[in-house]
Amino acid sequence: MGSVLLSSDWLIRPRPERRFVLKFSVASASAKPNKSRSLVDVLGLNLPSGNMDDPAKFLLRRLVRRIPAQMLKATLEKWGRLNAEQRESLNFSQSKWALTQELEALCEESRLTVKHIAELEMIYITENPNQMMWHAFQLLDPEDGALAVELMQFKELFKCHLRELVRNVSVKIKKHTDEAVWIRMSWGEGFSRLSHLNATYVVHYLQTPYVFVSGLSPKNKPLLLQVLTLSTKHERIKDANLSGRKLTAIRDLLLRQYEHVFPTKYPSPLTERNQSVSNLHTEKEQAEASAKRHQMAGQAFGNGVLPALQSAVYKLETKFKDPTNQTMTEQDEPFRCVVKFSSTNLLESLRHCASSGIASTPVAPLLSSIPLKGRNYFVITDKSPSANS
Amino acid sequence: MEKSRTSVTSTPISSVSTRRIRRRSFRQSTRSHFGVASRLGLTPGQTTHRFNTSRKAPKPQNITEKVSPEHLALLVKTEWHLCYVTPLYRFRHTQLKSYARQLSAFIAAEKQQGLGVEVGGLQDTFKVSMSVLQGLAETNDDPETVLIQVQSRPAFARQDEPLKTVWSGWLSCINGNPEYLHSLPKDFTCLPLFGSRGLEGLSSLVKSWLRSTFDCFFGPLDINQTTLRWLAALWTNCHMESNIQHLKMQWTLPAAPPLHVAYTVNSSDALALWRSVRKSRAADQEACIEIEEVTSFMEGLTSHFYRHFGVDLSAGDLNQVSTALGSAKVKGRMKISSSRYLISTLSLLTECAFLKIPI
Repeated sequence: MGSVLLSSDWLIRPRPERRFVLKFSVASASAKPNKSRSLVDVLGLNLPSGNMDDPAKFLLRRLVRRIPAQMLKATLEKWGRLNAEQRESLNFSQSKWALTQELEALCEESRLTVKHIAELEMIYITENPNQMMWHAFQLLDPEDGALAVELMQFKELFKCHLRELVRNVSVKIKKHTDEAVWIRMSWGEGFSRLSHLNATYVVHYLQTPYVFVSGLSPKNKPLLLQVLTLSTKHERIKDANLSGRKLTAIRDLLLRQYEHVFPTKYPSPLTERNQSVSNLHTEKEQAEASAKRHQMAGQAFGNGVLPALQSAVYKLETKFKDPTNQTMTEQDEPFRCVVKFSSTNLLESLRHCASSGIASTPVAPLLSSIPLKGRNYFVITDKSPSANS
Repeated sequence: MEKSRTSVTSTPISSVSTRRIRRRSFRQSTRSHFGVASRLGLTPGQTTHRFNTSRKAPKPQNITEKVSPEHLALLVKTEWHLCYVTPLYRFRHTQLKSYARQLSAFIAAEKQQGLGVEVGGLQDTFKVSMSVLQGLAETNDDPETVLIQVQSRPAFARQDEPLKTVWSGWLSCINGNPEYLHSLPKDFTCLPLFGSRGLEGLSSLVKSWLRSTFDCFFGPLDINQTTLRWLAALWTNCHMESNIQHLKMQWTLPAAPPLHVAYTVNSSDALALWRSVRKSRAADQEACIEIEEVTSFMEGLTSHFYRHFGVDLSAGDLNQVSTALGSAKVKGRMKISSSRYLISTLSLLTECAFLKIPI
């Protein structure tokens, strides 16, 4: 198991005429483990039963638990490792526990290994990316030709560079429908077996300077970042300080795939109203103030639909300043605290706060930095105000 | 709705005005309590209790000498769902065994409706035990705390397997208002604080049995904004003796969609701020803590927040406060993590329960 385990790439093709291609590959893939099994039998190695080893079973069980019952059938169909007959034999109305038993039996019958189960996981994660914590990284200093890197070249480069750095790793690369390249990686510890249970997922949109990573251990982080930098033909990579569960939201925020904010869109100081209804001075004043707040809120966050970012964290290490509290103001030490904003759609909430007056206008630079800089993690100190305002 | 919002917005940023808002909300909470009393047409003469505007700093107590370790282990580190209870009629601490038999028969009867159940007969599904939790009472007036536990055997377990506790609850009164306790007629026992943990269905069964047996009434005990602020200040004050690690407060602001703000302050910085707002600077252990000090502590925290984000936290609701010593949520959930402050926290909650009881 200590050898290089670079499995073949695979592509999901949604178009029906390509199904045949996929089926061919199924046949050839299932033939290989068959051979290896007979070899194992000849050597007299005692494998429990079939070729589903424990990690494969464990992965399958965990996966079936994770996938909601109503999605299970469609996901298995897309997987394509079980033939139609086998899929029809499954009873999806029974409990998941019983279903897992049936699935295990079918997988053993088709001689599927942990690698195949990992494919199933990847299909599910690709379609439901909002279940994990994603961290964004930014690629810097593009080399010549960085913009010309296309899928095949990226794949080649990625595998080539990875092979130079680590041996015990399994990689699957595929292109998702929306032009994103998805990479699933399972890492092995030294010469031990690959751990398919804690896979790292990488999503990269070709020709953009951003990479989204999930499930990466600190140990493997430098390796992966280096490989990514090299294979996208950049010189540096840095933490973009943006993370969240909704991959689409953090992607839209960074790639600016939402309505942009142009200050020129809000040019007008309010035109004078008709003075004849003059006695309602207060109402007018309030309406003006309210319009002003709406305008300011729009300037900071735009008026369109905002990416559904769910949280933002600020680590404050600033001096406590309060004219009514002399003792604290005189202290030199910073006041340490952490503030976390969360909501189902944070930017929407903040815009509402500003336009309704809960937040003062113009919107505090710390808050407007989220859409402006595409970040949701900030460390604020007194020494470098430029870094955060 | 829009108008009321505008009033918040046009509020100047100066801390003086925010203090005015706080005061008002505090006053409202006390007034609403008196509103209940007067609506019932009872003279509040004999019931002078109201929310304290001044209280002693919680003293760490080595309670392990008074309370048995099993009981202590049961009370701390679990989140209790709190209710208030009106005084119990004809409750005797001496008859707990017979109460336990009746309650287990009641639960069995409710669980298998339609079948006859013998009181004291062999209940193989639910076993109730009731006992006195000794050592918690602080004054002679406080009735002893009563512990109720429901044990059950898992559905497919063998007969010889040990029973598992599926529900526990207690009725308590710590540092109860002596005037009120003395004014009660002879047959009443006042245990106004009810904490429960476990299956929701069992909670309502136990409550309905207590209600019909002792002619009492249960209501949800919300830990209101003022109490949460008190807890934040009292816990911070504890940092002088035991590490609170952090002071975490959670607000919800009425935006659409609702905006949640978690504000976590480093414990020693929180203590420094707390010390700076104390009037009696000489860190006197015996000194009382005044509500004004609590208010200016919270104002200090919110103004620091405002300075950075321009967001006025007083526009929203504080709904959770937590430190390493425990956590309290507005929906009446309380966790006490340190036995040293068990008594002081329970006293505060008893006071809240007393405020809720319609007199």
